[in-house]
Amino acid sequence: MWLVFKKEVLELTRDRKTLFFMVALPILVFPLLIGGVVYFMQNAYSEAATKALNFAIVANVENTEFAKQLADMPSLHLVEQSTSLASEDEMKKFVKAGNVDFLISIPDNYSEDIISSGQIVIKVYLNDAQFNRVQDRIWEVLDTLSAVYQRNAFMTLGVDEDTQEGLVKPFVVEKVNVADKRESQGAAIGGMIPYFLFILCLQGAMIPAADIGAGEKERGTLETLLLSPISRTQIVLGKFLTLCFAGVVSALVTVLSIAIWGVVLSQGMAISMVGDFMAAIGIIDFLLVFLMLVPLVAIFAAVLLSLSIYARSYKEAQGYMTPLVFIVIVPVMIALMPGIELKGIYAWIPLTNVALAIKELIKGTMDYFQLLGIFGSSVLLAGLLIAFCVNWFNREKVLFR
Amino acid sequence: MIKISNLAKKFKIENPKKLSEQDKKDPRLQGRFFHSVKNVQLQCEKGEVLALLGPNGAGKTTTLRVLSTALQPDNGSIQIGGTDVVKQPIEARKKIGFLSGSTGLYGRLTGRENIAYFGRLNGMGDADIDAQINQLADQLDMHTFLDRRSENYSTGMKQKTSIARAVVHSPEVVVLDEPTTGLDIMAANTVIEFIKSLKRAEVPVIFSTHHLDEVNELCDNVAVIDHGETTFEGSLDAFKHKSDNGLHAAFMACLKEGA
Repeated sequence: MWLVFKKEVLELTRDRKTLFFMVALPILVFPLLIGGVVYFMQNAYSEAATKALNFAIVANVENTEFAKQLADMPSLHLVEQSTSLASEDEMKKFVKAGNVDFLISIPDNYSEDIISSGQIVIKVYLNDAQFNRVQDRIWEVLDTLSAVYQRNAFMTLGVDEDTQEGLVKPFVVEKVNVADKRESQGAAIGGMIPYFLFILCLQGAMIPAADIGAGEKERGTLETLLLSPISRTQIVLGKFLTLCFAGVVSALVTVLSIAIWGVVLSQGMAISMVGDFMAAIGIIDFLLVFLMLVPLVAIFAAVLLSLSIYARSYKEAQGYMTPLVFIVIVPVMIALMPGIELKGIYAWIPLTNVALAIKELIKGTMDYFQLLGIFGSSVLLAGLLIAFCVNWFNREKVLFR
Repeated sequence: MIKISNLAKKFKIENPKKLSEQDKKDPRLQGRFFHSVKNVQLQCEKGEVLALLGPNGAGKTTTLRVLSTALQPDNGSIQIGGTDVVKQPIEARKKIGFLSGSTGLYGRLTGRENIAYFGRLNGMGDADIDAQINQLADQLDMHTFLDRRSENYSTGMKQKTSIARAVVHSPEVVVLDEPTTGLDIMAANTVIEFIKSLKRAEVPVIFSTHHLDEVNELCDNVAVIDHGETTFEGSLDAFKHKSDNGLHAAFMACLKEGA
């Protein structure tokens, strides 16, 4: 078994494609992609916030405070102030023709005295498909004016400041979180961690899986291997361990790469956050998370190996394996859904129970007795699948299809 | 010594509709089963070379696969040096050096690593493997490519490596399925010389081939399989006496008798 395992791992380390997907992709390409997306999004956001915009004001009321403050904003440039573009269509056409980035129509009832004016509906004409944060800039002015006008109105009405607050905002909800920091953080990100770990373990094992069974069949090396004086069970276990190894290594490399690059990209800001979070989880729970991955990877490896052995060719094996990603995502997505907890039927759904258990471990709310049950049932399932795989490998009609 | 008696092997046809018209006419097709081998007898003694002849699809490869323990027979017995192949497959595998019809190698390993891997699977120690590889490399003229990755080997290099891999553990018997097919003259000669060296070492060799000149040069005995049955088994001289018009005609005569 170990001879087969060692040979398979040696071949893995010499396969450029496997090394690329298992090592280079997580270490270099994933962080570059994620970093690139974050960089471009931040650039686009800050550019949109500071970009100088041309605008026009249509108002019968002249020299409103609102118009003045807008015109005074350094990032806004008042191109035209008019009373002539009376109709809605004319205003739309004016913006659509690109004369301005946006147009503001101030109604006739505009007044600083909001008791007499009532609610003032200001219309903004803009091409909302463009990302230019127009409304944020308008609200920046309106928020200040609203506060001033409201205060003036209340004073006219003789309402004192304490009553004003109650009138403007009758209810305030103050949240008192009884969960500790770890539980809160665990609830927020604990569901995503098993999602990533599952997919990474599966992908990692999937890379060599097609080659290890169907690939050997296609090249003609499997028949020779079958004639060596070791049992077929040993051959299957050697190959099975290789897939487990690839799955775990791939997941570890990716997780470490994301952690290291996260620290590097955030220039140390993430160190204390990640450090605090990791310290809160504790070494035992951290090890238990990885322990839960063992039967999980075994389940993936046994299924992948069975499919690979059944397939006649590398291509056929890949065809069988691709839908597995979707099959694995479903039980993990169930665990991600709000309100789903490690109780009742969910504690017995394979993969879902492991995902929920990992989430509970991260939150620090795991019932260890229940964890033992989940671990045991997952090991049992993995064992059954390995037994099936061994049986599969002993069938002539599978090996010599 | 190798002895095969009354060997039979059938395969279930999963989808009879997919069979070609020619396959449907084959008398070995009975219901949902294809009787690939029905009644094969062979015997190869120490120091003998036996040629296994037969047209394509006659059942040669199935016979060799059963002999090598890759397939389980439905009937019959196979003895290799006193070991029952069916009852003690792992013991039997230690005694057989088998070269299958495909020259598949692990492309990302060197020739040396390919051979050494099978040496280890056969329980050999590193020192023995090294010594054996060097000896085989001399015999099969492999030194120039032995430490290169086998993915870029020519057909001849692959075949030589495959043969070395099959015999690295010094098996009691050697079975070669069309060992010279696809090889150039130089590589084929090397393989033929190697079979002669096995014969000199008194290792029984069974090899299937379509090249009758090789049969004439190497073999002591000949067995012809047609439609899954042994239609001739005897000495090379007896085979030659099947016709006065050469080996090809003798071979055809064996088929006619069996048909």
